[in-house]
Amino acid sequence: MPKVLIIDDSAVMRKMIQRIIQQSGFLIDEFVEAGDGKEGLEKAASSNIDLILCDWNMPNMTGIDFVKALRGSGLKSNIPVVMITTESSETRIEEAKNSGANGYLTKPFTPDQLKTKLGNYLLVK
Amino acid sequence: MALESLMESIAADIADATKTLFETMILMDLKYDDAILVDDTQIRTDVIGMVSFTGRYHGVIALFCSKKFALKIASTMLMTELTEFTNEVKDAIGEVSNMIAGNVKTKLAAQHGDMHLSIPMVIAGEGLSVTAVNNHSAVADTTLSCFSKDPWLMTPFISNNEMFNIGLLLRESTK
Repeated sequence: MPKVLIIDDSAVMRKMIQRIIQQSGFLIDEFVEAGDGKEGLEKAASSNIDLILCDWNMPNMTGIDFVKALRGSGLKSNIPVVMITTESSETRIEEAKNSGANGYLTKPFTPDQLKTKLGNYLLVK
Repeated sequence: MALESLMESIAADIADATKTLFETMILMDLKYDDAILVDDTQIRTDVIGMVSFTGRYHGVIALFCSKKFALKIASTMLMTELTEFTNEVKDAIGEVSNMIAGNVKTKLAAQHGDMHLSIPMVIAGEGLSVTAVNNHSAVADTTLSCFSKDPWLMTPFISNNEMFNIGLLLRESTK
């Protein structure tokens, strides 16, 4: 079953995303959490992660720098990454896609919007 | 655009962003009134969630609420009943402030060029007031400043019989 890495500097947002995923009935083995892009890279390297959900604006290393570093590393570079962020301009969405993000969801989102977005990457029980 | 008109336009964006946030993620009823200018001496609050922004214009977007309302918001977001004012509650208020400011930023950036948002800062206590002395900017970090003589453009909201406010300070940046 898949392991999901959630990278967001808000612990509340990380928990909220986990709750919605659990309540949506997706098959999940484990959630791994990181508070910024730098910690996210370490967790991605040391765990067998199947899907990454990543905020954009974070201290130490932003989400977009995380995506660029992950895709440039060669290692784990094929893990799908969905950005979940308040950055909602077309320019930012395009930048994320060009940097290697697979999906994009803007905050605030409804539980249904998150479920629909993650349905492309996770199986329901 | 004159600064006053721009502030009114941003206040309308703040109201829209807050309404959307409450409808989608917080799932609490929300009503709001017209934004009004409020002198800093009139501000008394328990919790302040602030995000500063820089760009062609710079300023602060801040949420002012009671501890009771902050607990309600955090409880709803975490889907669990919180009774103590923990760091999780501050984190929730920071994230709410961040989502409102982030959505306002997107609209502002489309008209006035790229902008940068600070990481949210949350201050909690009882009967807090906000001011800066002697008409000098009070610099809390490299991007956050409060302007003592500038009034806040404050939008009053009511949700679950609790009032809270979201304020805006704005100045045009010098080139």
